[in-house]
Amino acid sequence: MTAARPDAKAVKQAIQWLLRLRESGHEPTLQQQCAQWRSAHHEHEQAWQRVMHLHHDLDLRCVPGAGLALQTLETSQQRLHRRQALKLLGGVVMAGSATWLAKDLDAISAWASDYATGTGERRVLTLPDGSLLQLNTRSAVDLAFNAQQRMVRLKQGELMMTCNARHPVLVQTRNALLEGFEGRFVAYQDNDCTRVSVTHGKVAVHRPGNGQLLWIESGQNWRLDAQGAHRLAHLGMDPMAWTEGLIVTQDMRLSDFLTQVSRYRHGYLGCSDEVADLRLSGVFRLEDPEQLIQLLPQTLPVRLRQRTRWWVRVERMA
Amino acid sequence: MPSNDSVQTLYSDHHGWLHAWLRSKLGNAADAADLAHDTFVRLLQRHEHLQLNTPRAFLRTVARGLVIDHWRREELHRAYLEALAHVPEAQSPSAETRELLLELLERIARMLDGLKPKVRRAFLLAQCEGLKHQAIAEQMGISVRTVERYIADALYHCYVLRYEDEC
Repeated sequence: MTAARPDAKAVKQAIQWLLRLRESGHEPTLQQQCAQWRSAHHEHEQAWQRVMHLHHDLDLRCVPGAGLALQTLETSQQRLHRRQALKLLGGVVMAGSATWLAKDLDAISAWASDYATGTGERRVLTLPDGSLLQLNTRSAVDLAFNAQQRMVRLKQGELMMTCNARHPVLVQTRNALLEGFEGRFVAYQDNDCTRVSVTHGKVAVHRPGNGQLLWIESGQNWRLDAQGAHRLAHLGMDPMAWTEGLIVTQDMRLSDFLTQVSRYRHGYLGCSDEVADLRLSGVFRLEDPEQLIQLLPQTLPVRLRQRTRWWVRVERMA
Repeated sequence: MPSNDSVQTLYSDHHGWLHAWLRSKLGNAADAADLAHDTFVRLLQRHEHLQLNTPRAFLRTVARGLVIDHWRREELHRAYLEALAHVPEAQSPSAETRELLLELLERIARMLDGLKPKVRRAFLLAQCEGLKHQAIAEQMGISVRTVERYIADALYHCYVLRYEDEC
């Protein structure tokens, strides 16, 4: 009796025959030679049968609706890898390193370029795929773009991405990996959290230590931190207004407002506890934050204590 | 085949732990319960005897495979629906066809797991698009010989996976 199982050599030969035949368009002479090889050994024939079966099962060319197969397989594989890497790193990740995704990024040989803005500065970049990247004050990003992946690493500050429909753009922050599809969103890297606001389309959020994908829909604001993801019911401000040089607040706490304004100026700007909870609604221009501060006593019952030009504290009106 | 007894012991001793572990991976109690269940079903179907010296490491290995399968399925569905969004409605396949195709894609994706990206890509260009080796070589910027080697390697890889259990 012949062996019940073809050995590796016979299998590899069968594969060679299959590829040669397929490539030649099943040329008759070649077919004949292949038939000779098959009949030379029972093992050859068995290997041939198995390889043909396998090949048939893996053949997507004749399956209806398979036109999208390649794209689907490639995209899903990349994401699966990313997810596995995120998951593997989980836990260790939140230690505060901004490089926690590094292991997953071997597809990108080097961070292509760095962009940063100074205090009060804004910048608009058009990315190679046509997406628009806007940077707010005191922000820094690294870009890594290649054929497979479009990645922006938000090192500090705030950005707005307007994504081109064709490819998702990835934004890596200290707390999550954001995947933006056709649409527009803002990501703000705060000390211990990332705030994400979506105005058009939606964003998929991959979180370290959590395999569950989070979708942020248009109109939503979320806070992502080491404890998890929280939807913010009331942000108190228009998250996109800075792209037009404005702060637009609605019922915003004064202390939150001052925190925002201090991002656009040098020095200390704060308030006493007594006035922290006062609410502010209005449209303010970012061009001149000093003037903006000087106007506060006109709208709220507060006074300014100013030690130097760079040290300002808002207190209760005496 | 492990005896039902040993699986029973394993189940009562470690099910709670496994469920918690899966939950931490999946972030979702319902999926964790499903996969914990599947893990034990998988054990009952195994041919070899259970190695019980380190039961949790063993369970984790089986469960991790299931978690990855679960994610793979999710990502395939998602990627497929996204790709479909760019196809005119009239050309969009029926729900049944989609299901069948996704099953097929899942089988293929599992088989191709572990292949190098270039090997995988060369193979898929041939299998999905029906491209000739020359065309694949041009598209990928590699030689025809390398393409041939990649595709043969990929097929052999799949062959071993498919027939390794048979004698």
